[in-house]
Amino acid sequence: MADVDDGAAAPVSEPLDLVRLCLDEVVFVKLRGDRELKGRLHAYDSHCNLVLGDVEETVYVVEEDEDEDGDETVKTIHKKSEMLFVRGDSVVLISPQGQS
Amino acid sequence: MSFFGFDSTLPRDRGHNTRAPGFSQAADPFAGPRPEDDDDALDFEDTYDGLGDQLDETDDVFNDDTFGDDAGPVTKKPVGKDFDFFGQTAKVSDAINEEQLRFSRQAPSSRGPPTTSTFPQPLPKPARTGYERYKEPDYVPDMQVDANLWGVAPKQPAQAPAFGSPMNPGIPSGGRKMMSLEEVEASMRAQAKKPAQPQHPVQQQQSAPQQYSQTPQQQYQDYPPQQQQQQFSQPQQLPFQSSGPPREEARPAHVGHPHQPVQIMQRSQPTPNQPIAPTAPSQPTQILQNPNRYSAEQHRSAPAVQHPVQHPGHQSRPSGSRHIITHPQQLANLSDEERAAFLMEDAKRAKRNHKIFLLSKDNGLMTPQDKNFITRIQLQQLVTATGNPNEHGSDPSLSEDFYYQVHNQIRGGPRQHPGQPLSNFAQTYLFQTGGRHGGLRRQARGGDNHMQRMEQQVQRAVEAAKNKPKNKQLVIEGSLGKISFSNAKTPKPLLNIKRADSAADTHRPSKAHQVGVSGSDRKTVLTDIENVYSTLMQLEDHERLMPPPLENDDINPELAGFHIDWREKEEKLNRKLWRDLKVHEPIGATTTHPFIAFLSFSKGKKCIPRVFRHITQEQRTTILTMIVIHLDQLDVVRQGLLQPGEVQLNSATRENIELFSLAVMHTLFGYLNEAGLDIVTGLLGLILNINIDVIARTRIGVSMLTMLLSRAELIKQAGSNEREWDQWVGIYNAFFDALEPTLPNIFPGTVNTGEDVYVWQFLAAIGIGASPEQQQRLVMAVKDRVMETVAHAKTLPTAMSSQRLANVNLFMRSIGLDVELLA
Amino acid sequence: MENGIATQGEGRDPSGFLSEIIGSSVTVKLNSGVVYKGELQSVDGYMNIALEKTEEHVNGVKKRSYGDAFVRGNNVMYISAD
Repeated sequence: MADVDDGAAAPVSEPLDLVRLCLDEVVFVKLRGDRELKGRLHAYDSHCNLVLGDVEETVYVVEEDEDEDGDETVKTIHKKSEMLFVRGDSVVLISPQGQS
Repeated sequence: MSFFGFDSTLPRDRGHNTRAPGFSQAADPFAGPRPEDDDDALDFEDTYDGLGDQLDETDDVFNDDTFGDDAGPVTKKPVGKDFDFFGQTAKVSDAINEEQLRFSRQAPSSRGPPTTSTFPQPLPKPARTGYERYKEPDYVPDMQVDANLWGVAPKQPAQAPAFGSPMNPGIPSGGRKMMSLEEVEASMRAQAKKPAQPQHPVQQQQSAPQQYSQTPQQQYQDYPPQQQQQQFSQPQQLPFQSSGPPREEARPAHVGHPHQPVQIMQRSQPTPNQPIAPTAPSQPTQILQNPNRYSAEQHRSAPAVQHPVQHPGHQSRPSGSRHIITHPQQLANLSDEERAAFLMEDAKRAKRNHKIFLLSKDNGLMTPQDKNFITRIQLQQLVTATGNPNEHGSDPSLSEDFYYQVHNQIRGGPRQHPGQPLSNFAQTYLFQTGGRHGGLRRQARGGDNHMQRMEQQVQRAVEAAKNKPKNKQLVIEGSLGKISFSNAKTPKPLLNIKRADSAADTHRPSKAHQVGVSGSDRKTVLTDIENVYSTLMQLEDHERLMPPPLENDDINPELAGFHIDWREKEEKLNRKLWRDLKVHEPIGATTTHPFIAFLSFSKGKKCIPRVFRHITQEQRTTILTMIVIHLDQLDVVRQGLLQPGEVQLNSATRENIELFSLAVMHTLFGYLNEAGLDIVTGLLGLILNINIDVIARTRIGVSMLTMLLSRAELIKQAGSNEREWDQWVGIYNAFFDALEPTLPNIFPGTVNTGEDVYVWQFLAAIGIGASPEQQQRLVMAVKDRVMETVAHAKTLPTAMSSQRLANVNLFMRSIGLDVELLA
Repeated sequence: MENGIATQGEGRDPSGFLSEIIGSSVTVKLNSGVVYKGELQSVDGYMNIALEKTEEHVNGVKKRSYGDAFVRGNNVMYISAD
């Protein structure tokens, strides 16, 4: 590569760079409490506070069947939001969702 | 198993377990004989409830599972609380000492039928009497002493396990039981003759005959009601039952009776119940241990009797015969409620007596000084265990603290406020003990001094705990205000990891970075884009720092210097931006040129207008050239082709195309409006080298062509030099020839979709520059579509129709025609 | 890379180890028990981790795969080089 001296050699030199690359891309965010978000990443910071647009939130709820005890079904709840601010401390994982 | 069989428990064991008002037993105002005399006071016939006859003993193995290991849940759980004065531990010594005392005193204690009990309690098993918990080394000697008191002790421990062991419950209770049973029976009978009247002052009123006579009755009662019905005819039953305890003269008649049924039963139910008959004589001991079962049975079985109303004596007899010896008749005459009330009252009284006994029995065991010493230790422990009482965190440690638990049990109230318990407890406790000392032990003046000192100590300890500085958290001032380190939410950096992009690390041969060389790797492209954006922001930021413009005359060296610096910086940033854009990467080195890959991302597209503001005209030309050369490689072109059968592109692609035309094409158009004909000619020439068929069938490709053609037309109208124009015409002709085969297919979708404005624009652009001959070929190529559109427009509402016709007219007018002419 | 600790001086401390295993395939276990396997792109001082070609395993069962994955450091229990 011609511009090695510029420091542009490594696509990801620190983990948050990966998040940076996801800016303006659709990302998958895994949150604590069995929640997942999918939305366009508008902004982030070092705490992983995120601003997401056109978000689809998925919540997984484990429900126990009354009739057959022990049996658990995972119910998913979907929510949509135009814009979300996600506080960083609930973030577990961020992954780009584009064509990879 | 000895569940209903022979009772093999040690006297001390069973005595304690069932009747000693120990840790878990309710004080029984009607408590029967003491353990030492438990064999002589009662007979099997007195107490056997008949349940054993019904029981199938084959599965006794599972009794443990059902009733638990220790004394059964029934014996343990419902009681306990009533005089749980000192918590679990304190009770141990209490119970032991109490037993000792009571036995030595031979104080009669009464036992009342626990009216709450509704079902038979399982027989306590030996070696599981709750003593095992307290088999501390220091306790054993006490046990032995107790055993002596009962006068049975030494030989028994060895015997007990053999009989009572739950390990051989399944064994048909044969010889072994028989042997010992007979012995026991014999001794019991012998003892029964001399009823323990000294031990039962209340019983003294009862006559001996009465006691004897109880035996047969009991036995009779023992048979399950159903069996009674089977074995005896009604006539037999009636007189028999009516001859309840009050009628003593009736009893002798029935003495012999019971034996007969037993034998019959044995025959009819050979296997499971076989042991019953032989074991029967031994059962009084069981009953002795388990008076609750007996009395409960009496209540339970009463309704099952066929004519309960006819035979009221049947119900009352058992309680009268056994529990309150004075009251068999009285009780029998009482109603159920009255009896219950009476029993309750008695139980209460006994409880109170027991309480007093418990409180006073240890008097003098410790000196006040001893007690103070202990208390001090406890309090100290409490203080250290709980730490700062103001911390909520102390709650769990508090709840784990033994003394706090004890305190809570004493108080019985809900948990106090976390901030309170310590000092409250200390004071409460101190007052309590102090009060007791003051009240009960006058000589404990010195103790009071101790108490005062201790109180002070506690107060000091509490103070110290309060003043103890809270855990100092490491707090720093961050950009977001105070940030305390090292909690889950705002972690502090745990490791000092070298940044991979630091100067020393750039040449690190890292596997992950090797892919970056390809330049078209998605991540690399994204990185490029991000770099472009950062550089852009730097540039934009730099723009704002531009020094005021220099005046022509005024030569301010300082300002000039600023300008020079500023320009230098700008040039540097510009070069950086240019590098980041990767426009100059060698063409063909990778499958997709980095810059084209750059444009395939929407954020790459979006940055083009901003980039164009900061680059030179030459750089813009280069970018435009790059785009034109790779026109067929642009994602918007590659994906912009309608596949056969497709009517519409998918929304993502359409969005992409829209974005491209808005961001990129618009910018390029703005640039091209200032470009000369040579550039336009050059660009069109470049397009000739690539797949025109593909380009012409996509919106972006068509737009690009339209843009070039119309720019050329504008330049021509503005006037240009002949040589350039000739060049252009040459290229244009070549282009027209290349395009002509595609012309019938350049319309997207069908007529109905109507998204073909840009095609008409393109055709118009071609038509303007075309020669008359080319125009004719053009019309021939698109004639069908023109006619279709005009025909379709007639079916549409006026507004849409005129819109469509206007679109067509764009083209028609360019070649000197009009849709009107077609009509 | 596996013997980085033993051979190289900078591998003797955790951060050395982590810089050493960059680029190799690793297993990252979170406090929640979820395991991610992939190529380690980078780690930072917060234990934030960037992985490539990541597979998500929950209770030993592969649940998802990600091209890239950023894992926030506070969730990380350990990183181990495979």
